Amino acid sequence: MASRITCRILPLLKTSNVSQLTFHRTTTSASAYDLQHKNPFAKKVIAIPKAEYGGRHSVTMLPGGGIGPELMNYVREVFRYAGVPVDFEECPIDPQSDGNEDLEYAITSIRRNGVGLKGNIETRSLSRGILSRNVALRNELDLFVNVIHCKSYPGVKSRHQNIDVMLIRQNTEGEYAMLEHESVPGVVESMKIVTAENSERVIRYAFDYAVKHGRKKVTTIHKANIMKLSDGLFLETSKRVAKDYSGIEHDHMIIDNCCMQLVSNPHQFDVMVMTNLYGTIVSNVLCGLIGGAGLISGRNYGDHYAVFEPGTRNTGTAIAGKNIANPVSMLNAAVDMLDHLGHSKHASLISQAIDKTINEDHVHTPDLGGQATSIDVVQTIVKHIQDLTKDKNWSLN
Amino acid sequence: MAAQLVRKAFSSAVPMARRYSSEVRTVTLIPGDGIGPEISAAVQKIFAAAEVPIQWEPVDVTPVRGPDGMFGIPQAAIDSVNKHKVGLKGPLMTPIGKGHRSLNLALRKEFNLYANVRPCRSLEGYKTLYDDVDVITIRENTEGEYSGIEHEIVDGVVQSIKLITEEASRRVAEFAFQYTKENNRSKVTAVHKANIMRMSDGLFLHCCREVAEKYPDVKFEEKYLDTVCLSMVQDPRQYDVLVMPNLYGDILSDMCAGLVGGLGLTPSGNIGLNGALFESVHGTAPDIAGKDLANPTALLLSACMMLQHMNLPTHAEKIQKACFETIKESKFRTGDLGGSAKCSEFTNEICRKIAG
Repeated sequence: MASRITCRILPLLKTSNVSQLTFHRTTTSASAYDLQHKNPFAKKVIAIPKAEYGGRHSVTMLPGGGIGPELMNYVREVFRYAGVPVDFEECPIDPQSDGNEDLEYAITSIRRNGVGLKGNIETRSLSRGILSRNVALRNELDLFVNVIHCKSYPGVKSRHQNIDVMLIRQNTEGEYAMLEHESVPGVVESMKIVTAENSERVIRYAFDYAVKHGRKKVTTIHKANIMKLSDGLFLETSKRVAKDYSGIEHDHMIIDNCCMQLVSNPHQFDVMVMTNLYGTIVSNVLCGLIGGAGLISGRNYGDHYAVFEPGTRNTGTAIAGKNIANPVSMLNAAVDMLDHLGHSKHASLISQAIDKTINEDHVHTPDLGGQATSIDVVQTIVKHIQDLTKDKNWSLN
Repeated sequence: MAAQLVRKAFSSAVPMARRYSSEVRTVTLIPGDGIGPEISAAVQKIFAAAEVPIQWEPVDVTPVRGPDGMFGIPQAAIDSVNKHKVGLKGPLMTPIGKGHRSLNLALRKEFNLYANVRPCRSLEGYKTLYDDVDVITIRENTEGEYSGIEHEIVDGVVQSIKLITEEASRRVAEFAFQYTKENNRSKVTAVHKANIMRMSDGLFLHCCREVAEKYPDVKFEEKYLDTVCLSMVQDPRQYDVLVMPNLYGDILSDMCAGLVGGLGLTPSGNIGLNGALFESVHGTAPDIAGKDLANPTALLLSACMMLQHMNLPTHAEKIQKACFETIKESKFRTGDLGGSAKCSEFTNEICRKIAG
């Protein structure tokens, strides 16, 4: 029956010609009434608000569970020593609770501040109706793209060196749409949604990013040979958008081939764009190749909000409280956040300190193969910050 | 050992003749496209040299238009595999985005092949960045994300359905634990994403847990897909047997193949209710087809898996040993392994080792 429906819809799809539908994001300051009634396709895109009170930015902090709270403390400590003009508004979320008030408060806070720093939120409630809170947060705030910059650290021993891959993944739909139902007892259906609009947004973001940062090639990762309609739509959209960017090379690869290539030769990739689940897989493989979950940070961007987090979204319950968690991923996320807020001097200061700690001093936590504790790493970073500020005779002007 | 497993998996409706190793059995052979015919010929030659009591029945699975207008596998192929219960398949071509359903998927549905087994072992003599890889990935083969049910709900919104049933999950979990026991493995890891897909992967996990209780001497653990990806590329030695639904299995098994040297070296077996189909999982390589440059190792190792399954372990081990030794000596290596030997030279060397 499904194939009959598909047969009937496919010709319609060809004639309606998706490429003629444009989803122009015209930046407009038209009133809400005008937008709704006169031009429904234009979305009112306002600059991401950055709450600034008395010269100090206010940022929402969601510690999450597992190693989240301790890493957030390290971030506060490093910010204190670096004199960063950022105040955190902390929003804890109780993992056991069945209701969503904590989460809604956190979402309101991010809407107010515009920027958030988050750990991985646990959803330990056993009832089937409660959806993953991380996914709910992303969907609610429409953080449609997740950007992970996978860059090797020279000081970390790994099988491949000099990896520099930009991973751009769709963050709100795809396999994480969380639309599941049990039609008959013992048969569960889970729906993967792919929309042309969201795919186009993410792919345009990828190409714009490539242009802005001087990247040469964008690779679309898909499984369109099996999932012909859904991944087929994503692939078609990327091919169509690629034509608008003549300076950037575009090719595509199937996800299983991609994983195989990643473990043997990750240097062939430059910018990769893909849907949600493949993004999880590829980001974890890349982080594993670079040296572990503790180094890379991820950035979630929407039209209105930005949230920064550790790249591999691990809760780390097994290592919580043991002082062996690697604080670098959260600190890198904090650096990204400072860049976004415009505090580039502070950002580069902390980033240099982290670089020195990992590459020169080789203060590595156990996940990188070393013996240091988290506190050791943080103290070394703080020491470098103090040295750097002393040397430069550094002022904010 | 594997034959006992197969007998358990078969329904008892069809009484099977006792297998004597002296009796010559017929096996369906699907040569495939591209380099398929030449590597199938290589395998046939090696089997003849090893005097394996098997005769081959080649069939063609190019889709034909059936009476209802839909493309399907020709009836002759279906009858052949149903009769002989065991098949060996070369690489088949799947066009992207066309109207046909994937041929591989169609074969799986037709013969009810519910579990795909892919052992990935590091080959001595072929150095990759990962030594000591010894992982077996068992993936559910009929449903999951590859159910092929997709619709366009509204213009620009496409929905693809991932189907998980209790029956299929339980079947593949049973198979995984039995296989683990028969092959003296110690640990089964269920790979899932139940924190996001709570109902579907939750059901899969539930079935795995139930079956795990029946095998108390096999260790069972459950891990998230991202954790497995992360730790697999850092240290593959911590995993033994992995069991998972369709999509994750596809990706992870290919990744494990990449760890040991690529799809050109990895065997694969599909176990079903009505028989078993062993195949090589690499592509058709149309660029080197017909030039005697192909590497028959994958198909050969799959054929050895098939011999194990058919309760002919001595022949299987003999051929495998010859193959591994040839690769280890590195005098006759094909182009994909970094050598310059032709397919026929590689084949002849293996035949020589078997005879000598």
